[in-house]
Amino acid sequence: MITLNINGKAVQVDVAPSTPLLWVLRDVVGLTGTKYGCGVEICGACTVWIDGSAEKSCDVAVKEVVGKKITTIEGLSPDGASHPVQKAWVACQVPQCGYCQSGMIMKAAAMLRENKKPTDAQIDGAMNNLCVCGTYQRIRDAIKLAATL
Amino acid sequence: MSARNVISGQVSNELPPLPEPVIAHAGELQRREFLKGVGGLLLAFTFEMGARGKAAAAAAGSTNTSITSYLAVGSDEAITVYVGGGEMGQGIYSGLAQGVAEDLFVDWAKVKVQPLPAALSWVTGGSSGIMRRLQTMRAAGATARQMLVNAAAQTWGVPATGLVTAKGTVTNPATKAVLTYAQLAPLAATLPVPASVTLVPNNAFQVIGKNVPRQDIPAKTNGSAVYGIDVQVPGMVFAVVKHCPTLGGTLASVPTTPVGALGVIPLYDLSGKNINAVAVVASNTWAAKSAAENLQVRWTLPATASTLSSTNFATQAQSLLSGAAPYTVEQSGNAAAMYASAPVKLDLQYNLPYLAHACMEVLNCTVRITASTCEIWAPTQAPALVQQTGATMSGLPAAAVTVYPTLMGGGLGRKIEQDYVSQAVQTAKAIGKPVKLTWPREEDMAHDFYRPMALSRIQIGLDDKTGKVLSWSNRVVAPSLSIQRGRTLGATGDGIAVEGAASRPYNFLSRLVEYVPHPSPVPVGYWRSVGNSINIFAVESAIDEAALAAKMDPLQFRRNLLVNDARTLAVLNAAASAAGWGSALPAGHARGIAVSNAFGSIVAQVAEISAPTAGSITVHKVACAIDCGYAINPGSVEAQMQGGIFHGLSAAMWGQVTFKSGVASARNFSNYRMLRMKEAPQITVQIVNTNSPLGGIGEPGVPPIAPAVANAYAALTGVRLRNLPFFPGATMSEG
Repeated sequence: MITLNINGKAVQVDVAPSTPLLWVLRDVVGLTGTKYGCGVEICGACTVWIDGSAEKSCDVAVKEVVGKKITTIEGLSPDGASHPVQKAWVACQVPQCGYCQSGMIMKAAAMLRENKKPTDAQIDGAMNNLCVCGTYQRIRDAIKLAATL
Repeated sequence: MSARNVISGQVSNELPPLPEPVIAHAGELQRREFLKGVGGLLLAFTFEMGARGKAAAAAAGSTNTSITSYLAVGSDEAITVYVGGGEMGQGIYSGLAQGVAEDLFVDWAKVKVQPLPAALSWVTGGSSGIMRRLQTMRAAGATARQMLVNAAAQTWGVPATGLVTAKGTVTNPATKAVLTYAQLAPLAATLPVPASVTLVPNNAFQVIGKNVPRQDIPAKTNGSAVYGIDVQVPGMVFAVVKHCPTLGGTLASVPTTPVGALGVIPLYDLSGKNINAVAVVASNTWAAKSAAENLQVRWTLPATASTLSSTNFATQAQSLLSGAAPYTVEQSGNAAAMYASAPVKLDLQYNLPYLAHACMEVLNCTVRITASTCEIWAPTQAPALVQQTGATMSGLPAAAVTVYPTLMGGGLGRKIEQDYVSQAVQTAKAIGKPVKLTWPREEDMAHDFYRPMALSRIQIGLDDKTGKVLSWSNRVVAPSLSIQRGRTLGATGDGIAVEGAASRPYNFLSRLVEYVPHPSPVPVGYWRSVGNSINIFAVESAIDEAALAAKMDPLQFRRNLLVNDARTLAVLNAAASAAGWGSALPAGHARGIAVSNAFGSIVAQVAEISAPTAGSITVHKVACAIDCGYAINPGSVEAQMQGGIFHGLSAAMWGQVTFKSGVASARNFSNYRMLRMKEAPQITVQIVNTNSPLGGIGEPGVPPIAPAVANAYAALTGVRLRNLPFFPGATMSEG
């Protein structure tokens, strides 16, 4: 048994220690907001926070995150709606299919904690997750709005 | 009394309707099914399927040519529209709910949309959701409203004509009496269905045409939206699929189940004759994926395997271009003779590759089977086909197969297909437990139903003094989706393959459009905008080449050719104006323009680019204009134009799947590059509302961007890009 700290709760999982955190979250814990997109750290759909830092969970073995604080999209805000990035995402009507958006939101929220007023270039530099629907323009707008909330 | 409150009298219906919907009380069976004991008014309404819907129904052995949907006004205040379409990012549920809310006179947020059972669903594709169905949905709303008003009139003993509806209530202005729709619904359900109703006129719209917020978005910001890949069924196990990497290969022997796995299941392909894949089942997806990667599978490869290469496919296509007898798609005048005598002749060829869909959500399907039931959870554009697939593969009657369509993490045409559904049903049946089957990204890329490759030769006889196109001859060589699906082509060939080549709005003095099917061992499928994204690249590039040959401005050249099509001209001008066509640009920048007519909508785009190095193009801005008849939700129209442009631009720059000895090149995003945010142009969208028949928005944004960029590149460098992608062999690394 491996004990993890996910969204402030202790969770016990019985998996091979080399299993990527992504699949533990999705298939074992049942937190499916974190998405599988590529499995090779390119697309960022699996982005979560590990000790507050945005990381791609598809390539983090679960044994490496024991004792660390894991935050998923489900734990971003207590009510699932009140984080400034979530509010901005709704206000700007960002998602289309929505599949990549959990990763985008976790990435954006982590960036805004470090940089309260990012420039366009800084946003483009940090937000390197993939969105096949092409919501990038509204993501840029939503990040700027979130910075004011 | 404002126009909005008029419930009788002649009100013109400014958005031209489809054939009259048939609206009736729903039967008792449906009443029980949908209202679940809540009394109220339930209307059924039917409309004809589109050509593709009929083809899909026929392919599934169904004789249905019409589709039924339902509107329920509950005595519990709930207003629900049950529709047969799926949500894959295009905003269909919200768009249709807007239409119902408009003519029912209720707050937009009160209308909830629910999916219908599979047997009543339609194929989500062809940009048809709003285009083909909105007016019928509106008529249902108007019918329900009239019946609720009639119920109020009967209750109060007054004529219906003086009563006023607003926000889900009926008011008698004379007495100030008010009844809610919920109160009136049980009585309304007993009244006759009116023979005809009038719809709210465009100038009184309160919901249609407004940027109402989409209902699906909050759940997509907190992880609670359920896509197919998120479905959880008690006691389920997890599987991944591993295909024979080679086209046409079959399983030689079933491998032993490896340690850590629960089983290895041989899987038949859709023909039901060949085993071309295995499912590896385990306690979680990662365990299954790891076991599958290490699994040594022996495959029997086809004798032709070594010939299945892109080089050979290209050679075959090239020989068909000049050698084969083509289908004549479109002909007017004597194009050959006019070409022969033209002062300037252009003979141009454009080459396009196979393309993968690369939906963000990989293919997946969850199935639970018992001796008498089969339940299927799938991200699907075609629930009715899923039901048929479930019946075929489980051996149960269709009525025993229940389909739960989920949200789709992109569909793009790939999720019409049934391979992944068939595999999940086979796996669940064999393993005897509920199972979620997932395709690893590498399988998703390498075993697609690809957008067909294509060659397009365009010969233009040009009068370079006047800019007149004396002759236009376009021969398209491409694999036929229809032939591969077992359909017989009619006299003019495969209409899908020549979308965008036929019916160009330009005033060519003679024209000949021809099609040659290219037999292809590569599975081909519907890819966002289908034939249009192929043919519009060739057509709009060739038009630009003709303009340059005539030493004319490409915009003015097109304007001269659009004398018979005011709508297209207006859209072209709107995009050009928004882009500041002709105004000064930064050094090293250039603009290119292109226009298309697809799925009932006209879209023009102007791309502003630079080419900082020989191996790159930066697209700085795209000015897009669209006439989709009337924008039901302008925000959704803007989003779909942005999405179409990004999708088309990724494909134009880098999209390509090649084959070597029958094996597809695409493995992951690592060698199937797509745009990231830092590469994304700034897009503006001008909506031109003309009150024309409604057009689609999901696909029409795709086709113009590739030629717009190629045309800009020619303007910038003098070099013409006639092959897609512009930069083959692109790779992508960690972000």
